[in-house]
Amino acid sequence: MSASLGRAAAALLRWGRGASGGVLPGAGVRAASSGAGGGGQAEQLDAMVKKDKVVVFLKGTPEQPQCGFSNAVVQILRLHGVRDYAAYNVLDDPELRQGIKDYSNWPTIPQVFLNGEFVGGCDILLQMHQNGDLVEELKKLGIRSALLDEKTDQDSK
Amino acid sequence: KFRLAYPLLLCAHRMFTSQTEGELRVTQVLKEKFPRATAIKVTDISGGCGAMYEIKIESEEFKEKKTVQQHQMVNQALKEEIKGMHGLRIFTSVPKC
Repeated sequence: MSASLGRAAAALLRWGRGASGGVLPGAGVRAASSGAGGGGQAEQLDAMVKKDKVVVFLKGTPEQPQCGFSNAVVQILRLHGVRDYAAYNVLDDPELRQGIKDYSNWPTIPQVFLNGEFVGGCDILLQMHQNGDLVEELKKLGIRSALLDEKTDQDSK
Repeated sequence: KFRLAYPLLLCAHRMFTSQTEGELRVTQVLKEKFPRATAIKVTDISGGCGAMYEIKIESEEFKEKKTVQQHQMVNQALKEEIKGMHGLRIFTSVPKC
């Protein structure tokens, strides 16, 4: 029992030190493409965040997040029934990992983009989930949150 | 079994100790960069290792700004300190009149 705790703790410490994830991309996950570097990368990132309505940069993948905060983002999106989103694993690409931090002027991963606009990290997404803002923002993008359907079921009982 | 109890002991220990150097330094920077802040609380949530901090800051300087902008202000203020951290959690608020 303590051995697995030790390994989990080691894994948590490792994610801050640039360890490569080596995780295979799952369904719905776009593979991170390495940038040309410099100005070219900013344009590339710009295209990436605008290509899909919901774009997240994670440590790990939605199937196998490698960080508690990235996992939180994945779980929140799952709660809302958002299945079709672009997820980029920064652990696969050190240039992407630094590039996205420069692009959004935000020092940490995960990063969430809605409709090409930077929304924030896991704390902000959690706050939006708790205060109902996330349902509204998804509605603006034409995505109906699964939580809305859940609520109607409860009301009808 | 001791190995399981150790984190609990550490937690209890942290409850009764004064602030870490890291917490004090981050608090000091925030006080300087947010002179109108009404409340600042910095907690090392990495067991005293200085790897991760939770920052709670209340200031009228955040008025009428979106949460992400408020967090950006904190990020900018702690730009140098963040370089040495693995991560941070930020909770900003505006003072209630």
